[in-house]
Amino acid sequence: MQDWLKSRSLLFSQFFVILFALLLLVLDLGCVPIVRWFASLRGMGDTSRRGFLAVILVCSVFGWVLLFAMWRLLGNLRRAQVFTEQNIRLLHTVSLCCALAALICIAGCVFYLPYLLAAAAAGFMALIVRIVGNVFQKALDMKDELDLTI
Amino acid sequence: MEIRINLDVMMARRKIGSAELAERIGITPANLSILKTGKAKAVRFTTLMALCHELQCQPGDLLEFVDDEPGLGET
Repeated sequence: MQDWLKSRSLLFSQFFVILFALLLLVLDLGCVPIVRWFASLRGMGDTSRRGFLAVILVCSVFGWVLLFAMWRLLGNLRRAQVFTEQNIRLLHTVSLCCALAALICIAGCVFYLPYLLAAAAAGFMALIVRIVGNVFQKALDMKDELDLTI
Repeated sequence: MEIRINLDVMMARRKIGSAELAERIGITPANLSILKTGKAKAVRFTTLMALCHELQCQPGDLLEFVDDEPGLGET
């Protein structure tokens, strides 16, 4: 059972990337009516509603970049290309997307205060992914040294 | 400041080719090339021992310390 899970772990991850891409697509397509409904429920003004919507749309751009980077990263891992410069770049891209989304969410607090929670989560995620990228960079340096030890 | 590898010189003295030496010491010709061109970052004692054995020389014949920076006593 454990071997079966291990061998399909990357496939599962790729499946979830596709799932999140579909959810993001649904959000992009349906965010205008959803936000309109939510704004009427909360009694938001027109400016707040537009700001709320703008935050979602701008963050979704970072979401697409992030999902694409993760898809490519998982593809590289499936091809057994683990400690490479490209993967480090992809991890830094993911981290940057999270950090930018966090900044947008902080700015969005003007329109909707609970965006602060999303900003904290995205910022924390950016930090974690950045550290994983640093670990990959160190591992790549060590691999290079090992490859050049005769 | 670097450690220079004089493997070429010793191989020429012993009249031995890269492919033959690589086979004798049990490393790939590609790795021997890395060693010869000075791209290697480290040399295992076992490799150095095999090289010294096959080329009948001392580690100092293969490795040379080139110092182009002033040391403690030269300031």
